[in-house]
Amino acid sequence: MQREEKQLEASLDALLSQVADLKNSLGSFIYKLENEYDRLTWPSVLDSFALLSGQLNTLNKVLKHEKTPLFRNQVIIPLVLSPDRDEDLMRQTEGRVPVFSHEVVPDHLRTKPDPEVEEQEKQLTTDAARIGADAAQKQIQSLNKMCSNLLEKINKEERESESGGLRPNKQTFNPADTNALVAAVAFGKGLSNWRPSGSSGPSQPGQPGAGTVLAGASGLQQVQMAGAPSQQQPMLSGVQMAQAGQPGKMPSGIKTNIKSASMHPYQRLEEASVASDSFISPAPGYLYSPTSGPHGRLNNS
Amino acid sequence: MEAPPVTMMPVTGGTINMMEYLLQGSVLDHSLESLIHRLRGLCDNMEPETFVDHEMVFLLKGQQASPFVLRARRSLDRTGAPWHLRYLGQPEMGDKNRHALVRNCVDIATSENLTDFLMEMGFRMDHEFVARGHLFRKGIMKIVVYKVFRILVPGNTENTEALSLSYLVELSVVAPAGQDVVSDDMRNFAEQLKPLVHLEKIDPKRLM
Repeated sequence: MQREEKQLEASLDALLSQVADLKNSLGSFIYKLENEYDRLTWPSVLDSFALLSGQLNTLNKVLKHEKTPLFRNQVIIPLVLSPDRDEDLMRQTEGRVPVFSHEVVPDHLRTKPDPEVEEQEKQLTTDAARIGADAAQKQIQSLNKMCSNLLEKINKEERESESGGLRPNKQTFNPADTNALVAAVAFGKGLSNWRPSGSSGPSQPGQPGAGTVLAGASGLQQVQMAGAPSQQQPMLSGVQMAQAGQPGKMPSGIKTNIKSASMHPYQRLEEASVASDSFISPAPGYLYSPTSGPHGRLNNS
Repeated sequence: MEAPPVTMMPVTGGTINMMEYLLQGSVLDHSLESLIHRLRGLCDNMEPETFVDHEMVFLLKGQQASPFVLRARRSLDRTGAPWHLRYLGQPEMGDKNRHALVRNCVDIATSENLTDFLMEMGFRMDHEFVARGHLFRKGIMKIVVYKVFRILVPGNTENTEALSLSYLVELSVVAPAGQDVVSDDMRNFAEQLKPLVHLEKIDPKRLM
């Protein structure tokens, strides 16, 4: 008996504190809604709701706690009803209930809902019972499925909008660009202006590029001839040679052409322009020839 | 014609073999500003330096299969600055723990008749480009953010077009051989630039 009483008291105290907290948060929420409605933001409203829901949850937990005796078994009976002000009661209820009279008691000590509400509830329960267990189960399942579909859609939408918003920010670099730039700086991929589309000669170097060359031996000869008089642009001929020199990019056919021409560019050019008998048979492959160097070149240009 | 890996050679000569440690990445044009701001905060306090350089790469085709490559660079916006000639060796592979690309590096400043000299020596220009961008320093680390422009008419540096919509970002250190701790510092710095730019060691041979 004693123990149960103690338990009852303890649980009542816990309940009381929980309800007080709930009341406070409700009060502050109402205040916020009434006074700060123009400054109110949805997240702050959500915060208040979250607080309330948390407190209700703890209230439920307290009620379900194993140490809580069944309040259902307790009965509250008013012993004295008087129309006089009761100071004690006022103090305890914080001024809300000044008088413990006939008007107050039915509201405060009510255990059953209103008659109309009771009617409705009875109606609902009979309806539910009428459907039958299977149909009810099916309805429950379909409801669950619809809810989960909806949730999924919302989540997906949220995720996509988030990533869509972030993606332009996230893409601060392009790995393909990195590779292209590094290749350009390391060995000139895409930089040479005779490669029409700017990347990789290895495909068909036999195709005539924009403005030059290398279609075949005759093409090679031709451009070298053309290169002779314009000696002030040593770059051009150098460029052809260099293209020939790209390791591993040329198929062998072209290579032989180049090999034959790679004796000495100046040598060829000299032959083309001026019949000169001062020269060289340099060692094959070497581009440098000591004898017919600068002077010969200058003469020709 | 390539020098053997430098770390195998004893240091007997008068010059110290310098190695270049390199990390590369890129940044899209629209994110350039944020990268510049971040670099200004991270790097040594100095006036933001911009540069416009014209680089020409010369090849000497020898009997061996791989040609000898020299890079000549000149400034287009700084009159009177000397030309710069650089040799970069093959990247030294093998050490997976090394976080940066390491290659032998020889730099020298030259006078203006560099191209003529190289042509006389037998070099031929392979390709050229214009680099326009910003330069930052942090201690011995050099960070360069530049855009590569393709030269449409050889020799004409006015008529250029951008190669891509990105800027190339390079973090490099030139240090004596054997100082691998430098690559750790570089990696730590590169961490600070993420996620704007991912600086990593990119092997150019993979991109051929």
